[in-house]
Amino acid sequence: MMNAVWAVMILMGLLSGIITGQGDMLLDSMIAGCGEAVTLCVSLLGAYMMWMGIMEVARDMGVINVLARKIRPVMGKLFPNADDEAIAPITLNMAANFFGMGSAATPFGIEAMKEMQKTNSKKHIATNSMCMFIAVNAAAPELLPTSVLALRTAAGSQAPYSIVLPTAICSVVVFVCAVLSCKLLEKVM
Amino acid sequence: MHLFIPILLLFLILSSLFMGTGVYDSFIRGAKSALPLMLQILPYMAAMLCALNIFRDSGALFVIEKLLSPVMSFFGIPDELMTLIMLRPFSGSAAIALLGDVYKTVGVDSYQGFMASVMLGSTETVFYTVTLYFGSIGVKKTRHAVPAALISAVAGIAASVILTKLMYS
Repeated sequence: MMNAVWAVMILMGLLSGIITGQGDMLLDSMIAGCGEAVTLCVSLLGAYMMWMGIMEVARDMGVINVLARKIRPVMGKLFPNADDEAIAPITLNMAANFFGMGSAATPFGIEAMKEMQKTNSKKHIATNSMCMFIAVNAAAPELLPTSVLALRTAAGSQAPYSIVLPTAICSVVVFVCAVLSCKLLEKVM
Repeated sequence: MHLFIPILLLFLILSSLFMGTGVYDSFIRGAKSALPLMLQILPYMAAMLCALNIFRDSGALFVIEKLLSPVMSFFGIPDELMTLIMLRPFSGSAAIALLGDVYKTVGVDSYQGFMASVMLGSTETVFYTVTLYFGSIGVKKTRHAVPAALISAVAGIAASVILTKLMYS
């Protein structure tokens, strides 16, 4: 899937660049893209170190396992083949997303993927729980869309909060669709 | 809300001290694991941002937008939101910048501004998440993850259009 998406984007970019006679900027543009990845990774590293450090403190105390056992009955329905080790970071990831802490959500999410990979028998193929986790993350319901609200206020909106209710309803729609399409597609793909 | 996390951390570190689990060593071990992780995901992010950049800068994105424009306006999606919809799955920072552009060109309290806000608040960076999460564990066959996420993204766009029609005043 990613093979096709990536190749189509690069090929269309190359083609339209060549046709419109701006071949010299194509290379610069691609290199700039890779450079942006470096900048982004470096700027995220600080938050990752801090949250992964805190998570390790909690794990060594056994807090993570207690949390996992409490939340298991609920989350087990969405992620049937994830064990307790994976349930805890999955929960932390969704909680962080819900409270609008994107920088904490990502390290928890990666931790969750690593734990799910440990019990995966075919290491190069995604499990149902992994796909469900990705789909749910693509929905990532938020209590308040903080970055949008900040931007609306900064732009001088008369009613910055008028979008909160429709955004919440919309998020629920996305979440339900993600879960349903995952449950349907996992049988055929 | 802004006190919740600090208080949580206070309890966490205090109780770790009482239990004698070596809070400093634990933190170091966790923080250390962030470094190989970063190296692991960097090539995946580079590949994605490289493709995104050439796709946008070459004008290919513009061509696709022009082609899709009649379809989109049939479904009630204004032209101003096209770039935002196309780039939203790839980059959160690009999407925020584009939302700022929409506010500047048509106004934050306009119909389009309202719809763009709802859309951005309720959808996520699908391809970025897939790249990052599967890249970090080296899974190649992603099965139904991308289609399922994209279906829900389309549902989110549709819901934003309908809710804006109903609730914008």
